[in-house]
Amino acid sequence: MRDAYVIGAGQTPFGAMPAESYRSLFGTATDRAVESVPGEFDPGTVDEAVVGTLGVGGRQLGLAAPAATEHAGLGGIPCSRVENACAASGYAVRQAVQAVRSGMAEVVLAGGVEVMSDTSSDVTKYWLGVSGETEWERLTGTTFAGVYAQMASAYLDAYDATREALSRAAVKNHTNGAKNPKAHLPFECSMDDATDAPVVADPLNLYHCCPTSDGAAAVLVASENVVDEYTDDPVRVAGVGAASDRVGLFQRETYTAIPASERAAGRAYERAGVDPEDLDFAEVHDCFAIAELLAYEDLGFCDRGEAPRLLAEGVTDPDGDLPVNRSGGLKSKGHPIGATGAGQVVEAFEQLTGRAGDRQLPGASRGLTHNVGGSGGAAVVHILEREDEVEVAG
Amino acid sequence: MSARDDRPAIAGVGAYAPRLRIAAEEFVEAWGRFDAGGIEEKAVPDADEDALTMAVEAARRALAAAGREGDELAHLAFATTTPPMEEEDLTARLASMLGAPEDVSTHIATASTRAGGQALDAALDAGPWGEGVGVVAASDCPRGAPDSEREHAAGAGAGALVLAGEGPGTVTDRASHVEPYPGTRFRPAGDSETSGLGVTQYDRDAFTSALGGAVERLSSVDDAEGGPEVDAAAVQSPDGKLPYRAADALGVDTGTIAAAEAAGDLGDTGAASAFLGLARAREDGADRTLLAAYGSGAGANAFVIEAGGVPIEAALAGGEELSYAEYLRRRGEITSGEPEGGGAYVSVPSWQRTIPQRHRLVAGQCRACGALNFPPGGACSECGDPVAYDRVELSGTGTVEAATTIAQGGAPPEFVEQQSRSGDFVSAIVALDGPEGGTVSVPAQVLAGDREVAVGDEVVTTIRRVYEQEGVIRYGFKTQLAELRR
Repeated sequence: MRDAYVIGAGQTPFGAMPAESYRSLFGTATDRAVESVPGEFDPGTVDEAVVGTLGVGGRQLGLAAPAATEHAGLGGIPCSRVENACAASGYAVRQAVQAVRSGMAEVVLAGGVEVMSDTSSDVTKYWLGVSGETEWERLTGTTFAGVYAQMASAYLDAYDATREALSRAAVKNHTNGAKNPKAHLPFECSMDDATDAPVVADPLNLYHCCPTSDGAAAVLVASENVVDEYTDDPVRVAGVGAASDRVGLFQRETYTAIPASERAAGRAYERAGVDPEDLDFAEVHDCFAIAELLAYEDLGFCDRGEAPRLLAEGVTDPDGDLPVNRSGGLKSKGHPIGATGAGQVVEAFEQLTGRAGDRQLPGASRGLTHNVGGSGGAAVVHILEREDEVEVAG
Repeated sequence: MSARDDRPAIAGVGAYAPRLRIAAEEFVEAWGRFDAGGIEEKAVPDADEDALTMAVEAARRALAAAGREGDELAHLAFATTTPPMEEEDLTARLASMLGAPEDVSTHIATASTRAGGQALDAALDAGPWGEGVGVVAASDCPRGAPDSEREHAAGAGAGALVLAGEGPGTVTDRASHVEPYPGTRFRPAGDSETSGLGVTQYDRDAFTSALGGAVERLSSVDDAEGGPEVDAAAVQSPDGKLPYRAADALGVDTGTIAAAEAAGDLGDTGAASAFLGLARAREDGADRTLLAAYGSGAGANAFVIEAGGVPIEAALAGGEELSYAEYLRRRGEITSGEPEGGGAYVSVPSWQRTIPQRHRLVAGQCRACGALNFPPGGACSECGDPVAYDRVELSGTGTVEAATTIAQGGAPPEFVEQQSRSGDFVSAIVALDGPEGGTVSVPAQVLAGDREVAVGDEVVTTIRRVYEQEGVIRYGFKTQLAELRR
């Protein structure tokens, strides 16, 4: 099977942007991705587009992909919407890789978009719960804050951990995001801020929950046949893994892990032929602080129950052994549901091509992105690496 | 009419009142007065309780006291002045919640506080039912305008009697009386608040005349010798004083009425009033008891019950005191209802398909690996086999595996009104025990009052309102901390 490469990636700022529509956001992200391609790139060469979106607010639930791509100037090409809740555009990138590797396309645009700030908080809360198990889980009065809080309660109980670890994840990600010009909440916070915030769903407080954001992100995936036409500095998709699970937390074998993440990561490592120790950085799905802790363990960064220690020891800080969420993560960078997974690939692309500005990680040559839908009903992991490193290794 | 040998006996009594209470002093502090004489405190239904859920609580306890099961039900009567739906036969859901067979004969009595007496009268005529049993559940939670005497008095509770071919209790005598007395207590079509004209002496005359008429007609009452010979008289109690005004008409002394006192700490329990009086008398060991139900309109039913030896299971003690502001929140007087934004949409037909799970905890046991699945259907959660399941009913006890307290702002729109009224709520995953070992995890709210809920806490299931959508109330199981079960 032939290789697939990320030749360009770009995104809008994430935040509350009442002046923007889902189409204008998607168009801007597409423009940024096109501009990021080092060589000459004609958008007309895009063979296909895959658009991830949940459709929060009910906007354009049908035919969202043609509506968005036509506005972005890619009209007429085959395109489709991918829906896997918060993992929508992580899966869109995976589909782009599949299309390229299969030989059906040479260049595919994979992106995502969400508009979440133009509805009342009650309408937003309704939409935040639509990816939970509706008939049973939601009808105990939960949205995702509640379900992740249940996971947090089980985790804290199982490992005798404290809420401090949750707050540490928030402080780290805010410190990181303060250096990201695209971040929704680009400010630092103290441990006191992250400890004393109002409770949302105990044990999770406001600082343990990501914001709801507007935004779009787009990634251009090209085949090995054409990659050299566009860049001398290619980023190879070394491994992709994806998995699904029961939608309701109560139906799963464990509440202190996300099994779909573990399975997706296992496949991605296997296909890339690498281990967690070979990573230089990771962008993980920290929709709630507990999710970042679980990700460390599901992705093999540490043993079960060890995530609080990683945070306490600064292992995942920018100057640690494995920086995690240098972008600020969902907590600080923001979480426009359908755009998040592609947005993680944008960050990885920028880190791997030396474009990350103030948050550039020195010597970053291999990174992992981890995108979760719902409370773990779907997960997708990508491992991306700089081609020159691969050639050195080979 | 005299008792006949082929009339059903009384095999058990059940009683329930919500654990929330408000003291009369709270009203005095808020209003400068309290207009319901003789009531010191009263029971208040939580936001997810109503006449149907309280009837389930009382009926289950009555069946347990009698040592009988829901599947033995042949006759089921539900009496209330506050049916949660004005039109729709709620006995079908009550029967389902109690696990009654589908051929159970059901009956709803409503429209006046005499409904409990009318339902008992009809059930005595309908039975016995061979090996089967009858349950008469009287349950009520009246409401009035906030500044009215009715609302000050309005309490909540349910009483249930199990009738069977054999049992320690007997109705030895009964009689009824009707006499037109409009306007004493009424609720016009479409209103949720009960009112009255407040013509004091006229109201008292209606009360004493109807009750006196019924008691005089008892065959065991000899005009020359006065009233019935009883240990206790469970008399309709719109407040804590009116029953004593009827003592002469009933031919009993006030001590006999006091022996079946329930309004003083539960308030006006409407159609359940006389049943709860009987329960209180029975708890105190009274044997021969007069049950005297009055309903505006007016009418009365009187029963002489030899209740010695009749087992009782009652949960009438209070558990949490409310302030007046908390009381107004619980009643929805100062909350604004479900916000715009829409709730999770579960169509009524898809809800209806899950009723066996929501009412009776019907789970499936995988034929391939034996694992319990809830809800049953689809591939087995344990072995993944898309197999058939054997039907099993879970016991209703379980253990908390994961829990969160949903704070203000954390609830989905369809639960915002519940939160506004009852406060932050606990949503959990609970491992419910299988009938023969094993557990199965289910999502459930945990009713905990002001207690903290932790992983490992023991819970028991109960039936509550889950939410209302498209005008249809959805009832289903919730759990409560085992230590709070009374």
